Amino acid sequence: MASLPKRIIKETERLVSDPVPGITAQPHEDNLRYFQVTIEGPQQSPYESGVFQLELFLPDDYPMEAPKVRFLTKIYHPNIDRLGRICLDVLKTNWSPALQIRTVLLSVQALLASPNPNDPLANDVAEDWIRNEDAAIAKAREWTQLYAK
Amino acid sequence: MQLEFKKVYPVFSWSWDIPGDDDADREIGDEDLCGICRVSYNGTCPGCKYPGDNCPLVIGECNHNFHVHCIQQWLATPTAKGLCPMCRQQFSLKRGVAINEGQVEKLANLLLQPRPAALAADDQDMMMDQEFAVR
Ligand SMILES: [Zn+2]
Ligand SMILES: [Zn+2]
Ligand SMILES: [Zn+2]
Repeated sequence: MASLPKRIIKETERLVSDPVPGITAQPHEDNLRYFQVTIEGPQQSPYESGVFQLELFLPDDYPMEAPKVRFLTKIYHPNIDRLGRICLDVLKTNWSPALQIRTVLLSVQALLASPNPNDPLANDVAEDWIRNEDAAIAKAREWTQLYAK
Repeated sequence: MQLEFKKVYPVFSWSWDIPGDDDADREIGDEDLCGICRVSYNGTCPGCKYPGDNCPLVIGECNHNFHVHCIQQWLATPTAKGLCPMCRQQFSLKRGVAINEGQVEKLANLLLQPRPAALAADDQDMMMDQEFAVR
């Protein structure tokens, strides 16, 4: 494997030495481009008190290409599908090399705080969300209790 | 006492002459780092071995600086849409700046290349690409 670019080394060091509150990111021993991530559900959101597992992978072209991020923990959210894939602009068309692992994970955390059913990925969840928000939020809370402990 | 010089080792130091670099209000810590690879302007991009003329720096009209190789690589991606990574304005080289000379043509060619059509329409396909290469 090619040597790890300085930028990735620096980002990893800072993630460990100066972690983001509510977020952890650990590089895998065998592949320093692969991170095991946890994100705490934001307070006052349906995901409060849950701890969500994610995986993050830095493609060879990083930082020209966005990190690939996916939820491993089951979650009921209009912008996260059954496979844990996330609908988030900075992971796709609005990626910029000025962003980092840290800022991407903060954006994911922010997405938990404000689900956006009008820009859905999980279409059925988004429909539920628009049709009956209270029921959808209750279900999101329930799933948090069930799966994100 | 008499001193005798047996050997002399001359050491030179250099840095790019960046206009406006002595602004006092620059953010400490972030200064002098290429916003793309986060290596010092006076160091090299990840693809080069020797700093200096082989891995020059360029200054944008928006006053954001990058290794020319870094910004070229970024602008060649479809995601870039020709925008500066830092401020998302259309990236172009600042005129009348000595260190930009010689790079203008290279970058102009790149900016004139037709870019793939906007990606907005196939969001779903992009999501498929979010699959992982390793497990
Ligand atoms: Zn650079
Ligand atoms: Zn270079
Ligand atoms: Zn700029």
